[in-house]
Amino acid sequence: MTRIMEARAIHKSYGLVKVLENVDFDLEDGEAHVVIGPNGAGKTTLFRCLSGETRINSGTITLAGDDVTQLAGWERVQRGIGRSFQVARIFPMMSAFENLIVAIETRERKDKGLWSSFGHIAPRHAVMDEAERLVLELGLEDTRDESAGTLSHGDKKRLELAMSLALRPQILMLDEPTAGMSPSDRAEAVRLVSQVRERYGLTLLLTEHDMEVVFGLATRLTVLHHGEIIASGEPHEVRADARVREVYLGQH
Amino acid sequence: MIDYRARFRTNLMIAGCGLAAFAVVPFVANSGLMFLAGLVAINIVFGLSWNLLFSGAGLLSFGHAMFFGGGAYAMAVVSLRMPEVPFVIGLALGAACGGLIALLFGIIALRRASGVYFAVLTLAFSELVHILITKTTFLGRNDGLVGIRRPVIDLGVFSIDLTSATSYYYFIIVVMALVAMMLWCFQNSPAGRLIQAIRQDMTRTAFLGVHVQVWQLTAFVLSGSIAAFCGAVMVPFTQIASPEIAYWTVSTQPILFTLLGGAGYFWGPAVGAILFGTIDFGTRTMQGLSEITVGILLLAVVLMIPGGLLGLLKRRRKKARRMAEGSSPAQHEQSGKTEAGQ
Repeated sequence: MTRIMEARAIHKSYGLVKVLENVDFDLEDGEAHVVIGPNGAGKTTLFRCLSGETRINSGTITLAGDDVTQLAGWERVQRGIGRSFQVARIFPMMSAFENLIVAIETRERKDKGLWSSFGHIAPRHAVMDEAERLVLELGLEDTRDESAGTLSHGDKKRLELAMSLALRPQILMLDEPTAGMSPSDRAEAVRLVSQVRERYGLTLLLTEHDMEVVFGLATRLTVLHHGEIIASGEPHEVRADARVREVYLGQH
Repeated sequence: MIDYRARFRTNLMIAGCGLAAFAVVPFVANSGLMFLAGLVAINIVFGLSWNLLFSGAGLLSFGHAMFFGGGAYAMAVVSLRMPEVPFVIGLALGAACGGLIALLFGIIALRRASGVYFAVLTLAFSELVHILITKTTFLGRNDGLVGIRRPVIDLGVFSIDLTSATSYYYFIIVVMALVAMMLWCFQNSPAGRLIQAIRQDMTRTAFLGVHVQVWQLTAFVLSGSIAAFCGAVMVPFTQIASPEIAYWTVSTQPILFTLLGGAGYFWGPAVGAILFGTIDFGTRTMQGLSEITVGILLLAVVLMIPGGLLGLLKRRRKKARRMAEGSSPAQHEQSGKTEAGQ
């Protein structure tokens, strides 16, 4: 396996609060890497640092061997990252279908150049067809023409996943994909995520709270506690780790 | 499912009807009213250019007068000091002048500021442009530039004589209808959709791999160029470029049009500009009454019908449709189509 993302000695603090301290993190090609940890452990911050939503104070991040530490989020997306947010971010005043069209056209703009953005008043047929495929694939048929802001929590998450897939990323980063879902929706989400992972040959990076989801998806597990990595490895190894047990059981 | 073609046809029809209505004016009204109608036509596109920024990109500009004035003065200078330059090139230079101002200002302001800070910066910069004009002898200081002649467009095979006010009026309304439709096409192109997306969720758009600031700047430059183009077209009509057209009160005009007509609708500023023109005409003999009427009307619209006049119409139509629901599906279809015109 090759490493497609590598973070070395990342430090991140907000003011005086140190959130991440000397974190080393790797993402191997094709794995489903789940980051877990108690609330406030720094999972989301790690996510934000890796995706480029926020700059790190020190350390380096490389993507497929290239140093991307200084690159903004949008530039990292162009190098093959797609991500979702803890609270799904979609375009609330557009229909679900239009949301997908925007995402697909954005990818096309990168491939076909700026001029593909002007000169026609309806989305091209290829774009519409692709959006239609994504609608079917992610089960958004019933909500495709509703304005995205009125969708249910789960549908918003699905729509966001579909938009990320439209970018054809190598790495898909999902920040708590099942947060706030019912147990049955969760099982459905796990099924959906593993399905798209397989179909698109994606490398997954997730943060998650729910242990069923974690062990349902993970091929590798990393445990973050107070901004430090305390364990990393295959799920069964991590589950057996004494420190991890202490952190998780000690809370209660 | 959105029928994009039907939407385009509907809007083309709206523009066509507007053009036809304006075309009738010289036959039924005196030259004073025709003059006013010409200014209204220019104001419509000026308002549309402002709303492209406001409703399109979510940027509030309090300084659109700098573009309008910039374009007007560029045109005035070209036609007075460089009479050998063709009129069409003058118009292009006017638009380019506004685009350049927008580019310079946008590079500075969009990086540093957003929201109210951005709005205040546009106001300050616009005032700067106004003061520069009043202090520059080349631009006629406080007196402005007068005696600008209306052109004859020479197309080689034949030429179009626009020297009379009436012929120039027709030139204005045709060009403005074309520019309005061009703006509509832009807003419905992938680029326009992207700019809408940026307004609705900037972070999401960035994480689709979009350089948000560049696109905001694009919208800003486009809006500035169109506003400047309006200024450039106006100058030969009024035959004067005075510093008042770069004054901050001019910046408030497209805002008024948009709020009156409805910011959420493409044609909102157009409705507002026509209403504004009507009020102006109705109160022309009474000094100050126009401002008071507009002020009261604006207050009423903002407090009672926040969606503007088109918002009110839409609500009325919805209500009517609810009442007719079930009994007449044909009517349903009809109202659905008109709604797509926004």
